[in-house]
Amino acid sequence: MRRLLFLAALLFAASAWGDGPTVRAGHVWIREAPPGVKVLAGYFTLENLTDKPLSLISVSSPDFDSAMLHQSVVKDGVESMLPVDTLPIPAGASVELKPGGFHVMLAQPKKNLFAGDLVTLFLKFSDQSELTLLAPVRRDEPGR
Amino acid sequence: MKFRDLLPYLGLLVLALAVGVLAGYLTFNSRHQPPPRTDALLLHDPKPLPDFTLADTSGKTLDKDRLKGRWNLLYFGYTHCPDACPTTLASLDKFIRLLGKLPADKRPQVYFISVDPQRDDDKLLGDYALYFNPGFVAATGSLDALKALTEPLDVQFSYDKPDAKGDYAVNHSTAVILVDPEADETALFVPPLDPRRMAADYVNILKYYGEPI
Repeated sequence: MRRLLFLAALLFAASAWGDGPTVRAGHVWIREAPPGVKVLAGYFTLENLTDKPLSLISVSSPDFDSAMLHQSVVKDGVESMLPVDTLPIPAGASVELKPGGFHVMLAQPKKNLFAGDLVTLFLKFSDQSELTLLAPVRRDEPGR
Repeated sequence: MKFRDLLPYLGLLVLALAVGVLAGYLTFNSRHQPPPRTDALLLHDPKPLPDFTLADTSGKTLDKDRLKGRWNLLYFGYTHCPDACPTTLASLDKFIRLLGKLPADKRPQVYFISVDPQRDDDKLLGDYALYFNPGFVAATGSLDALKALTEPLDVQFSYDKPDAKGDYAVNHSTAVILVDPEADETALFVPPLDPRRMAADYVNILKYYGEPI
């Protein structure tokens, strides 16, 4: 597992630093789904390394039939999921995708995924830069 | 009558006063002590649950009577829920494990109640709850049976429009409801849940209600 994570970090670094990074990702993970459940949520943080505002404009994954940017919103004690077209990342700032907030909704995995597996996520930004993330599937949030 | 003759009566009077004050203090203390400071929203007066009948995933009836005699937590959600439900259920699992030192009958029974009976069959729902904790019980029922419980509790749920594949999201209340051994709603835990704080709140609430723990 540790070796896989190291490999993931290396691959990630390679893709991020390839043509001058504009966004750095961290804290990447996907929550393992209970048996029979075909929708999962992916989380990460994105840091805008430039002095201009950027946006995350698309997320896709070869490991799922669909990947969509969503936000869980609680209004008057009721939780809803809203689709998010683009996720702004202000200049020099970070945004967090985390439980109960922004997340990538991943539906219909191509194979059953378990804690320790790695999922590929392709992110595309408004400056046309791209990031490839290898996201470990975990039972729970790192550090919890 | 001399003062000395009155002394025994005075003594009795003082004793009676002392007993009265002590009794009053004890009563006041158990019934009217200030409520504990909690993150949980403690109801001013416990509110009786309505009559309702659901079925758990092994086919056993889940109703008011089944909740009696033990503390319970009710959480309403659905299995096709990628973010809120697994986050809450994972926190509830941690919370229950933090209460590991309490006798088993003082720990709350967690019920995960699906408000999506159309998709959540017994197999899927049962496996789902067990995945988070082997002690969790999942239950559901018809929309009418669900509403008999949810409406009086002010728990809401509604369905988004299905997408091209027929998948849909369910909007639902996030609160976890604490129900006492009389089947009265007692407190609400509102996400984001911190399992440690929840455990401290739970113990304080039980003490407040005079539960010997």
